[in-house]
Amino acid sequence: MKLITTILIFFTLFVVGVSWVANTSRTHSIIFVVPKGWPQPVYDFKQNPLTQEGFDLGKKLFYDGRLSKDGNFPCASCHQQFAAFATYDHNLSHGFNNSFTKRNAPSLFNLAWQKEFMWDGGINHLDLQPLAPITDTNEMAETITNVLNKLKKDTAYKRMFKAAFGDENISTQRMTKALSQFVVMMVSANSKYDRVMRGEDSFNLPQRLGYEIFERKCVSCHTEPLFTDLSYRNTGLATDDYLNDIGRMKITNDANDSLKFKVPSLRNAAVTAPYGHDGRFASLLRVMMFYNSGVVNAATTDSLVKHGISLSNYEIGQLTAFIYTLTDSSFLKDPRFASPGYESRTQQVPPDHIH
Amino acid sequence: MNAAPVASHSCTATILLNISSATGLLLYRPCVFCNAVLQIIIKNNLSKNEGVFTAEYKSEPPSVRRNKSSIRDILLGTKNLFLNFKYITAAIFMLLLLFFCNAETIAQEGSANKLVINFKNMVGDQLLKTDSVYTNPFGETFTVRTFKYYISNIVLSDDVTGEKQFYNNQYFLVDEDDSTSKKIELNTTLNSITSVNFLLGVDSLKNVSGIQTGNLDPAKGMFWTWNTGYVMAKLEGYSPVAKTPQHAFSYHVGGYKKNEQTVRQISLVLPQKLKCENAIIQLTVQANILAWFNAINAIKIGDMAFCHQPGILAVKLADNYSKMFNVVH
Repeated sequence: MKLITTILIFFTLFVVGVSWVANTSRTHSIIFVVPKGWPQPVYDFKQNPLTQEGFDLGKKLFYDGRLSKDGNFPCASCHQQFAAFATYDHNLSHGFNNSFTKRNAPSLFNLAWQKEFMWDGGINHLDLQPLAPITDTNEMAETITNVLNKLKKDTAYKRMFKAAFGDENISTQRMTKALSQFVVMMVSANSKYDRVMRGEDSFNLPQRLGYEIFERKCVSCHTEPLFTDLSYRNTGLATDDYLNDIGRMKITNDANDSLKFKVPSLRNAAVTAPYGHDGRFASLLRVMMFYNSGVVNAATTDSLVKHGISLSNYEIGQLTAFIYTLTDSSFLKDPRFASPGYESRTQQVPPDHIH
Repeated sequence: MNAAPVASHSCTATILLNISSATGLLLYRPCVFCNAVLQIIIKNNLSKNEGVFTAEYKSEPPSVRRNKSSIRDILLGTKNLFLNFKYITAAIFMLLLLFFCNAETIAQEGSANKLVINFKNMVGDQLLKTDSVYTNPFGETFTVRTFKYYISNIVLSDDVTGEKQFYNNQYFLVDEDDSTSKKIELNTTLNSITSVNFLLGVDSLKNVSGIQTGNLDPAKGMFWTWNTGYVMAKLEGYSPVAKTPQHAFSYHVGGYKKNEQTVRQISLVLPQKLKCENAIIQLTVQANILAWFNAINAIKIGDMAFCHQPGILAVKLADNYSKMFNVVH
């Protein structure tokens, strides 16, 4: 009896110990897949291990209007999946109290490879990114404390924070890490271009000719496979005298950075119109016409474009055909990223025919 | 900070005490986990004495029960030996647990005194009151609405023995509106303290390491979301000379990058050696707001009423506030 008791005690200790350990990790890990041939991501997954629970929480937050002051502006109001998480058909997006944002909402994908965020690169970590739109008075216009208080009142959130992080504590860090888990999973690497590169498909003639022009005239800034080198450049856009946006210089206080903005990715460009940091170009055609004849050669204008990029009408057509091959409809319709409750709706749309 | 290890320490000790005495009396209040272990021990002791099976056994099928009682019969003769064996094993197990988990903590706890650094915000030689009107060295009158600053990476030194104690990764936000924030408590094993060093602000590493918690939570309002970085110190108020709405002035000083660095290393030598003889030792550090205006650079509210980004003005203000502290016993 005594021995059994002893064994029982130690067995109980063992079971309690194991279940305690197991309890803290009773989450379902998600594997982040790096597409073949791509560089290693810069996002530190060790600091924020991906779990299904964290992802689900992030998705709920992303689509929840309560993150904004009046409930009308979830992240998703400016970042719409069908527009590759940019704002469809808006040069500037709408924010709280009938205001406009100051810049064109960037598309969201392949964020795991980005070290800095925003057009001016002012934010140095993905986990900190959501705080800017949440608190900006012309975007979601809410305070972090108010957002947390609203979330704390919701039992569904308590349950989801516990599932993702082990207990019901709702904090700034957990909120933005959950959002990171959701958005960092947005990988767009399955366009026709990618399939061609993998040898599963082939370009038609205009696409192939367009790719050749791209390789000669665009690739130095729109580097493959991300189709951006993530640098900041002045492409020679005339300054808007209302917005007076100095770009990167706002962050660095360096006159050499005046009017420089982050090079946007060309992936999914066909669905992210309008273009430019202030959305001044309504179509791809207008962007290419600008490079052909509209570049302003100012002090900081990039040497690669300061004399413009000559493009004939044929070349513009062929480049457009190539850019269309960068549309990743499997990403644009991926039910994982769809609004909660609408996942099945995105699945019903036949894939692959966005253009 | 050290509450958790201490609790588990005393709790493990409680089990040891109870096991070795085998009385089953709760001398201390153990944690839930240890209490459960104790309950099992007590319960089994009782059930043995009364000659009945425990509840767990009762629910088992007869075959199992028979099997278990037969083992019990075999062991009956050497009962006392096993009884001793059990307690010795348990004691050794617990001791090992105690040793591996808490050795370091216990060593620290053993001789630690508590140093309380009291921050007193001053305007000249007057204690800051948010409803008083003050005059800066340029004759500009002003009131203070908000005064906050980060204190981090404290180092206590005994310059006589050369001993130093580091408090890395501890960040304090001293806030005029929060009296508890003005007391920083540190456990120290130094025998005496001759100087106190700390950073005013948040080191650059924490500015580039993503989202933080505790005092570094961006929700504390000492953080720039659009241009990542902490506001190291913040002084806000009103002055009739400020050319702004409501004549408000606000200096939010931050910046961690090259040429924009606003973190300042503060070294304060104590007027006399502070002996750590008592369990609680008090030290007072004064922060003089007037230093913000002219300690090194002249900053007139009438000329520059606000600073809301890293840059030249922020650096000038930082140079000024690097001179705002002095230490008294």
